[in-house]
Amino acid sequence: MLKTQYISRKQELPLNGDSTGLFLQIIISIAVFIFAITLSGVLSINTMLYNWNQSILGSLTVQIMPVNDINKEKATAQTLAYQEKAIEFLQNVDGIIKVTPLNDNQLKNLIQPWLGDGVNISNLPIPRIIDVKLAPDADLNFVELAQKLSIASPQASLDNHKLWLSKLIDFADGLKLIAMTVLLLVIAITSGAIFYTTRMSLGLHRNIIEILHTMGAKDTYVAQQYGKRMAFLGFCGGILGLLFAIPAIFFIGSLATQIEGGIISEASLGFSDWGIIFSLPLFSMFIAMYTAYHTVKRTLKKML
Amino acid sequence: MGEDNNIIEMQNVGIRYDQGPEVLSDIKLSLKKGSFHFLTGKSGAGKTSLLSMMYLAQKPSRGNMSVFGRNLNFTNRDELASLRRRIGVVFQDFRLINHLSAFDNVALPLRVCGMNEREIRKRVSELLKWVELDAHMQDSPDTLSGGEKQRIAIARAVINRPELLLADEPTGNVDNFIATKLMKLFVELNKLGTTVVIATHSEKLINDFCYPRLHLQNRSLQIINPAGSTILRGLADA
Repeated sequence: MLKTQYISRKQELPLNGDSTGLFLQIIISIAVFIFAITLSGVLSINTMLYNWNQSILGSLTVQIMPVNDINKEKATAQTLAYQEKAIEFLQNVDGIIKVTPLNDNQLKNLIQPWLGDGVNISNLPIPRIIDVKLAPDADLNFVELAQKLSIASPQASLDNHKLWLSKLIDFADGLKLIAMTVLLLVIAITSGAIFYTTRMSLGLHRNIIEILHTMGAKDTYVAQQYGKRMAFLGFCGGILGLLFAIPAIFFIGSLATQIEGGIISEASLGFSDWGIIFSLPLFSMFIAMYTAYHTVKRTLKKML
Repeated sequence: MGEDNNIIEMQNVGIRYDQGPEVLSDIKLSLKKGSFHFLTGKSGAGKTSLLSMMYLAQKPSRGNMSVFGRNLNFTNRDELASLRRRIGVVFQDFRLINHLSAFDNVALPLRVCGMNEREIRKRVSELLKWVELDAHMQDSPDTLSGGEKQRIAIARAVINRPELLLADEPTGNVDNFIATKLMKLFVELNKLGTTVVIATHSEKLINDFCYPRLHLQNRSLQIINPAGSTILRGLADA
């Protein structure tokens, strides 16, 4: 009976009983919650930018402006004729590998988010669209191409996406920068909270630490006990924060998909993104352990 | 200042706290390996200060001090910790950790050194049995009497077979029978090569065991031979 009793060993520093433990756990879980939400935002923006880039990389869009004529059938026929001329021209340009005019259904799908269901596009003066795929090594002079195209098909205009996309990318980069700042602030605030509570705890347990030093304990011996305790608090706090963050991420995601236009719906999270988010408790564990360990080592150097 | 002969060597050592006056001045002491001394002096004479320098809790404010041949002026924190592992200390106020059991308190110096748990269990159990506290292994020091705490503190000080044993009134809270038994433990350790310094007010203890005294008076250290007739100032010559 006795033997089994004294096998169990208590930590020399009673850190489990520290009142600061619960406080830190709450701080860490809130930090991980904010971190997870912000990080998912950053990762989504990254996915969105990647998707945008992929979708327009090596592609052009040609618009055929509708011909104005009182006779709609004649106008449509003329517009389609311009479209055919443009296709014919584009198919003979070096570096262009595929030319695909969008059909009525595809055009309808494009404008549906803006005009709603039940719109008969044949009644609307909307431009025809031609999707042009470029060869990977295509080296085209877009200005020259646009000029030649307008000669071949006067109603045609060339759009290489770069102008409007660069504005969107700037905006997304700005959002990313703000999000990264929030992430850094969250890390700094959490580390600060761990730093001050660890110092407070060292003051509380000064007598025991002095005894340990007298027995020959090195600073690392004390620092390891704090590191272990904080790693536990960091991990538990991280799990708790994540438990709240995941439903919140899904909720925000569902709100985003409801936005018409399909722009935000590109901002999805992949497997690797979820992997990063699920590893946050390990990250918070490491930050907590590292901060506490080095706080103890630095403080003991000054204190004793 | 070699480690071969002297465990502790002090030259013109003084200690003061903050900006206050010196508590001890111009202390000269060579504590030879395997020696046994009593440390005496009135309350406030500086016994605790001298002991705290010896167990490396305080560095001298001035002068040179070497422990196990290492000059403290050139010793870093980790080296100090390694030196402390070779020293056993019994505090007057025991300084036991109350949330730990008697067993864990005694095991402390071994765990700090990283000894394996099986060896720790064996050593601590044997020693607690020897000091007749095996029935209290799992008890918190809070629940033990003063004498029992004293024995736990002594067991903790000797568990790792220190080369230097420093004890501040180690028999102050125990009856004569236990006091004699503990003193015999110190004597046995001394015979095995441990250098022993015991701070005490007990004239009986000093008279019963004929060892030289380090006597503190007027902030300085005197060495008094067992016969009591010869008083040497300066270097101990035990």
